[in-house]
Amino acid sequence: MRAGPRISSEEGGPCCSGKISAYRRTAAAMTDPRFAEIESHRPYMLRYALSQLRDGPLAEEAVQEALVSALESVGSFNGQSSLRTWLTSILRYKVIDLQRRAVADRAHFQSAEAADFDDESWLDALFDETGHWRAPPLAWSDPEATLEQHRFWETFEPCLDRLPAPGARVFFKREILGEGTEEICKEERISPSNCWVILHRARLALRSCLEKNWFVAEASIGR
Amino acid sequence: MAGNVNCREASRLLSAACERNLVAGEEEALRHHLERCLMCRNFESQLQFLHRAAERFRSGAN
Repeated sequence: MRAGPRISSEEGGPCCSGKISAYRRTAAAMTDPRFAEIESHRPYMLRYALSQLRDGPLAEEAVQEALVSALESVGSFNGQSSLRTWLTSILRYKVIDLQRRAVADRAHFQSAEAADFDDESWLDALFDETGHWRAPPLAWSDPEATLEQHRFWETFEPCLDRLPAPGARVFFKREILGEGTEEICKEERISPSNCWVILHRARLALRSCLEKNWFVAEASIGR
Repeated sequence: MAGNVNCREASRLLSAACERNLVAGEEEALRHHLERCLMCRNFESQLQFLHRAAERFRSGAN
């Protein structure tokens, strides 16, 4: 049994808009000056939860519970780690808890995408018959300064979300959470070589998205 | 797999190198390709950038 009633989401809206009324009811949430700051980490937290749980509603539930816990205990946050790191550690416990609860329901953990890893047609879209880049990677200007720009992350996040099916989750685990490939293979129930294919594809897709939507776009408006 | 690799194969090896040690033949073929191919050197730099961006994203310093 999951705790509490499920509040249905608003149709067509972003992930969580209709689901936060219970959270909003928390008096502390309304008055704590860190409410907005904590709330701003919700998209990241949802990505984290999705990478671990694969199940949208379950992931939202985990985030919801973590945010409520965070607001209840924000007084104990001492600023030694970043706020995101602290929120993620709370969320990790919620995720583990939900995984345990869902373990009886194996469906959540069945490999959702029966990807055909021998099918390399996606590579044919990126490379011509002689193996050359169809859209050669450009030299990106000033990548270090890019990371300092707030607007860059408004491009980075949608690019991350647009990665092909298992790619977003596996890339998130590998590069953002820094999990080892071996651990990921076990969780995803795939072979190492399939994991490498997924990551290869994800990296190519991400670099292409960033190049098009950030680096070229920025150059054309002249920084 | 000593000898030449094309960009498609080089991109695969560059990504694989983030996950595992390349075997001698692979490494040599990749290095040889990179010496001659600016586009793949750009891709190599981009992979490093993705890695740094991901670290930054995790800490929330963005």
